[in-house]
Amino acid sequence: MNSEIKIGGLTLKNPITVASGTAGYGEELSGYMDISKIGAIFTKGLSLEPRKGNAGNRIIETPAGVLNSIGLENVGLEKFLNEKLPFIKKSGAVAIPNIAGHSIEENIELCRILSETDGIDAVELNVSCPNVKQGGIAFGTDLDIFSDLLRKARKVTKCALIVKLSPNVTDVTSFAVAAEREGVDAISAINTFLGMKINTRTRRPHFNNKVAGLSGPAIKPMALRIVYQVCSRVKIPVIGLGGISNFEDILEFLMAGATAISIGTMNMIDPAVSEKMVAELERYMNEEKIESIYEIIGSAQDK
Amino acid sequence: MATLLEKPVTVAKDHYLLKIKADKSGSLPGQFINIKAGEGFDPLLRRPFSIFNAHEDVLDVVIRVIGKGTSLISRMEPGFIDIVGPTGKGFTMENDKNLLLVGGGVGNAPLLYLMRALKENGNRLTYIYCARSSDYIFLEDEYRKYADELIITTDDGSAGIKGFATDVMSHVISDGKFDRVYTCGPDPMMHRVVKLVHENVPVEVSVENYFGCGVGLCVGCTVDTVDGYRRACVDGPVFDGRKILWENMPR
Repeated sequence: MNSEIKIGGLTLKNPITVASGTAGYGEELSGYMDISKIGAIFTKGLSLEPRKGNAGNRIIETPAGVLNSIGLENVGLEKFLNEKLPFIKKSGAVAIPNIAGHSIEENIELCRILSETDGIDAVELNVSCPNVKQGGIAFGTDLDIFSDLLRKARKVTKCALIVKLSPNVTDVTSFAVAAEREGVDAISAINTFLGMKINTRTRRPHFNNKVAGLSGPAIKPMALRIVYQVCSRVKIPVIGLGGISNFEDILEFLMAGATAISIGTMNMIDPAVSEKMVAELERYMNEEKIESIYEIIGSAQDK
Repeated sequence: MATLLEKPVTVAKDHYLLKIKADKSGSLPGQFINIKAGEGFDPLLRRPFSIFNAHEDVLDVVIRVIGKGTSLISRMEPGFIDIVGPTGKGFTMENDKNLLLVGGGVGNAPLLYLMRALKENGNRLTYIYCARSSDYIFLEDEYRKYADELIITTDDGSAGIKGFATDVMSHVISDGKFDRVYTCGPDPMMHRVVKLVHENVPVEVSVENYFGCGVGLCVGCTVDTVDGYRRACVDGPVFDGRKILWENMPR
């Protein structure tokens, strides 16, 4: 039984990963599970300098979902390399840093430095955060800026380059096709959907930034649909995410064509859920006599 | 696997006491547990509750019903209960000191466990218990057990002294004879307590803002402090009250 999957030159021991922004820097999860058991940890979106994130309310629950407006609070590159990455490496886990710079230049600089860092074999470029004013979603919703950023990032990135797509566009597949054309190794689909909450007591938006990102089981059918459409248009691996809450959801994303999946919001409800899902996958592959995980990847696509 | 030992008991208007047998012993005053309300995805997130009292692996929790999640928890049947924790940074312990505790509403809950531990360490304790009205005062006898002096204030005067404690008891709160002050309750109350406490006296607060994960992953429950943002769930919920930038607290 082989659950290994490949992303560019990187091999992950299984397709189950945890999504950026819901897994801290691995250390927080390690109190509840063995972080070396899962395929990879996408760490919190990183900038060159530490970022404070958004003021005011940052999170609120919705039916089967969560709206967040964290604003990419992070420790900055230096502290990440000196304090956060060593812990993940020492634990025997795989870290995939999520890069979330303000500008094209900052993103490229982060791609260059991180991809040359020992122990980092893939980076994920976040062009889809809805919660920051500069950068973020602007890179992920304009096809020309998006392609330009990826072209420049590809040149300086020495390891596998993953790009995380925004669902907040008319046609996500056109961004996926552009990413493949620019030589990106894999696509993460998708980031949060734009949403909103109004406080009826104050008669004002709940979040200072007005809009926020919706995640959780509520978005799963939409995320699955996008992943299915993206996988039908590109040959590079797709990491599927969006509202995955149980093993059945994981199978759906794999069958839609995702080579790997990320668990996001559910880590917040059960910080050990990803390790449990690895055990579920093992049981399922044994029961179904599946030799290689690739036997089920994309099975729902028309041949 | 944790077990709810009996049906939640009403202890005051909208307030319930839960007795939970955890799968391991060990908790500190000021720590909290995250409870999953119901089985499905709505409500999705866990609800954090500070520990009211603990005896080995049995944790007592007082909850206030404010919405769907807490309502579901208040109507739970004995048996399996899905909890994460105890977790979080607790209160600073003291020995043989004069101490003041000020609790507001359900914020009185963590201060009972704290008070019991402080009493065992030979401290002399003054406790100001603030509530909206007499209907909302829970388990008063438990507080009387450990407090050397218990002062009750209610907004409407239906029990104890009428008015906000930070108005009618301001002379006690600002009294320099205390070696440390602890407070838990609504943000405006805690902020006023912090401002009243004599500048040479340390003051600790336990914040109760909206949590996402409760385990440090999501950075959703941040508190703005003089040292930058801190996560209430893992860097707190107990903080040095003077380090919090109260004007930046989310509303």
